[in-house]
Amino acid sequence: MSLLDRKLLRDLRALKSQALAVALVMACGLTMMIMTRSLILSLESTRDDYYREHRFAQVFAKLKRAPHAVTEQLAAIPGVAAVQTGIALQVTLDLPGMAEPATGLIQSLPERGELNLNRLHLRSGRMLVGRGSTGEILAGEAFAEANNLKPGDEISAVLYGRRQTFRIAGIVLSPEFVFEAPPGAALPNNKTYGVFWMPYRELAAASNLDGAFNQLSLTLVPGAAEQSVIAAVDRILRPYGGRGAYGRESHPSHTRVRDEINVLQGLSVGFPLVFLSVAAFMTNAVMSRQITLQREQIAMLKACGFANREIGWHYFKFALVIVVAGTALGALGGVALGHQLVEMYHLFFRFPQLDFRLAKGVLVAAILVCSLAAVIGVWGAVRSAVRLPPAEAMRPEPPASFRPALVERIGIGRFFTTPFRMALRNIGRRPARALLTSLALALATGILVVPSSFRDGINHVLDFQWDLIQRQTVFVALIEPGPPRALADLRALPGVITAEPVRAAPVELRAGNRFRRLGLNGLPAGSTLNRVIDAHNREIALPPHGIVLSAKLAEVLAVRPGDALQVRVLDGKRPEFSVPVVALSEDFAGTAAFMEIGALNRALGEGDRISGAYLTVAGGRWTEFLRATKETPRIGNVVIKQAIRDGFRKTTAESIGLIQKIYLTFATVVAFGIVYNSARISLSERQRELATLRVIGFSRGEVGAVLVGELTLLTLAALPFGLVIGSGLASAIIQTVNNEFVRLPLILTPANYAFAVLVVSVASVLSALLACRRLNHLDLVGVLKARD
Amino acid sequence: MSSASPASTVTPPPVFQVRGLTKTYGEGEAVVRALAGVDLDCHAGEFIVVLGASGSGKSTLLNLLGGLDSPTGGTLRYRDQNLGTADEAGLTLYRRNSVGFVFQFYNLIPSLTARENVALITEIAPDPMTPEEALELVGLGARMDHFPAQLSGGEQQRVAIARAIAKRPAVLLCDEPTGALDVRTGIVVLEAIERINRELGTLTLVITHNAVISDMADRVLTLSDGLITQVTANPQRKPASGLRW
Repeated sequence: MSLLDRKLLRDLRALKSQALAVALVMACGLTMMIMTRSLILSLESTRDDYYREHRFAQVFAKLKRAPHAVTEQLAAIPGVAAVQTGIALQVTLDLPGMAEPATGLIQSLPERGELNLNRLHLRSGRMLVGRGSTGEILAGEAFAEANNLKPGDEISAVLYGRRQTFRIAGIVLSPEFVFEAPPGAALPNNKTYGVFWMPYRELAAASNLDGAFNQLSLTLVPGAAEQSVIAAVDRILRPYGGRGAYGRESHPSHTRVRDEINVLQGLSVGFPLVFLSVAAFMTNAVMSRQITLQREQIAMLKACGFANREIGWHYFKFALVIVVAGTALGALGGVALGHQLVEMYHLFFRFPQLDFRLAKGVLVAAILVCSLAAVIGVWGAVRSAVRLPPAEAMRPEPPASFRPALVERIGIGRFFTTPFRMALRNIGRRPARALLTSLALALATGILVVPSSFRDGINHVLDFQWDLIQRQTVFVALIEPGPPRALADLRALPGVITAEPVRAAPVELRAGNRFRRLGLNGLPAGSTLNRVIDAHNREIALPPHGIVLSAKLAEVLAVRPGDALQVRVLDGKRPEFSVPVVALSEDFAGTAAFMEIGALNRALGEGDRISGAYLTVAGGRWTEFLRATKETPRIGNVVIKQAIRDGFRKTTAESIGLIQKIYLTFATVVAFGIVYNSARISLSERQRELATLRVIGFSRGEVGAVLVGELTLLTLAALPFGLVIGSGLASAIIQTVNNEFVRLPLILTPANYAFAVLVVSVASVLSALLACRRLNHLDLVGVLKARD
Repeated sequence: MSSASPASTVTPPPVFQVRGLTKTYGEGEAVVRALAGVDLDCHAGEFIVVLGASGSGKSTLLNLLGGLDSPTGGTLRYRDQNLGTADEAGLTLYRRNSVGFVFQFYNLIPSLTARENVALITEIAPDPMTPEEALELVGLGARMDHFPAQLSGGEQQRVAIARAIAKRPAVLLCDEPTGALDVRTGIVVLEAIERINRELGTLTLVITHNAVISDMADRVLTLSDGLITQVTANPQRKPASGLRW
């Protein structure tokens, strides 16, 4: 080891806590970067492999009923590579020991061989192949796990009014259900909703679909135009009750995985950048001070014949050690947190295997980025040190010159104490450094605002969606639309207090060349259970003519109240009509359209019918009510508001909680690192001054106050800025996260701000105290003797 | 000790009473005996110059008298207070109220003007003079609002003296006060110290390598190897203005 390197090691030992502070801040940025990039890699590669190996389709469609012969027409569409047709049937499940009714989606398995597309992945038990195996079924893993079902267990389902019992042959996964949520639901509810597969013949017999199919999937040949294939599919299926084909980009499971990757992509750039910039600044501050202290040593080295390059490299290596430590810590942190988040993804996403894959390229990039940050940090300081002629450098630096601070120049300086004026003048002498320190503290404050605003946004959505809009206890859907008498039947169920009908129809809404497919809801004009609310929380009374759209849908279709909208019904008599948009409603999940129920029924031309009802149920008769719904064959689906709410809280609250913890840690590290580092540098620069104060009779506390006075001012200045930055960050992130499916409102509360201020203040005070402890070791005699 | 004697007939009790004072640094083989047993009485209004080679123990003595360090053995009394057993807070209070320091390298706070450097003390001392008075005493009335970087070395040292005496200390301790100055400026600084000693009756101890300064003193102590080896009393103090080196 060269002597210069030995010097390097000893210098590092003397500066170890400061070097550690810088390395930690750097590590936070890298942890975030490595974690997010690795998660993106893990999700993308796992998803792509899964899709490819299990032949996930590219175009999907549902219809009423078409004979098998139609399959050939579909296969003949130019651009279609493979077709898979089958049956999908929604059923009510009966699980022993569970009060609330559960629903399932049973899909068919081909009569010969394996599924051509959307192949299943066997988790346990055995696969059902071919015609045999009467009374056997395959169950999706999420549901099986939530209900503790294993191969060999039995499960009962009501198929078209007939109750049948099946034995579970195997537990499986499907690329179609990576995200396994009930249709239209924003979140999974694995306890009460599951997917199943059984042989075609049995399912066809139970659903009167023998020789026919009611759903299909397609893959395309490379280069085929998806839109024209979708148009052709729609044309072919029209006579058979086609409900509109859609591509992968609209597939409910696929979009959720894609959205998650998009969110990660957003996070993988911004935050690491913030942390690494702060780390670069801290490196610069530490190195500048170190080089100033070693001014005479540098002169000596130069006098002895060392080249500028060698001296520069020596100090750069110093910074490089910090970079390597930061990268190592960051990689460890990224891998550890990545593993935790992958665990969390198991709550939402079902892959045959989702392993954490370290993005190794990012690791290399991280080292390069951090080294660059370090070079930037060291460059200026080293350059000014090596440019000095040795003779000059060996003389001590001239005393720092000060001038009165701005507040004094304008004449109000006399209102301040002497230590306060010292702090002001110190800031005035190094404004750039003060600004950067303040900025870094502001960023730490800002980082804290973000997760709390997410949490508050989610709480707002919960309150808004489930207290203000939806006031029912349950929503009950009928298997098929029924006559008004059905409402009376539902009202007669035990414990029901109020019941309000709903009529739903699948439609395509079109304005110019923009369109969306969704369920159009018909509600009574004065609906009190499922209310239509505008942006100002005012109830919208549905008019006898016209349509109300959710604000997001109006944005997607580019329409405003007063504009006309083309409605094409995709079911029943398939009427087409034009309606004016009369108002915009506010909601935070998906997109929605509403009409007055009578108006919708008139437009559909099938008479007065209802698809289901919103009910309030007396608490005391809840079990009785649930038992009754299970025994009513007509009821297809029961959605319990509280269950969804609990599920939402559990899954989303858990993930937000984890993210909040991560941010909290990172922000604390930055606040701590910045304050500690600044205090240490200040202590080193002003050692003599502080020792003098001690000698002339200032107590340790008083000297500590002088030391941290400047930092206190900078922190105080940083806090309001931090809140502004945090609000901006939260807004920007919510903008990138928000999409057609899930939206969060930007909610910024005083409590959120107070928390951020509190955390940064506490971190600052603690680190300042830690730095002040070094005042105890101040060598009063030695410092006064030597000239600095 | 005759505690009941009338003050007019006997010498007042000494400001410092030092008996068998020792100070060692380090342990075992590396032990350094900086003071090996010093006996000394210092009285109010005295001007004492301490001479000695480097390592003779003169700075250690000054540090102990100034409450910057604690002795290893012996007794060290300041008036009624036992400095040898005083704790950190007690020493801080002692420095704050009773001692003024002047150092070779001035040790002014660079971010404060001359007036503010002095005010730093007058804000915390119990019965101070105003910063203006203190600066007038050292002849710097005209440069009160200058920052240290705008003052010459001699001027900076006089600010340091003003800062030291603004609290009206009982003791003024000066460690090589002219060490960094040229002769002319050094004499101006010494005149300031002399004036304080005379007009305020402050017990003044000056440590120096410069033997010429000893002509100003009432008593001259010479230290060697941690012991006072010689005490000379000057029958006549020479004014600072008459010194040359």
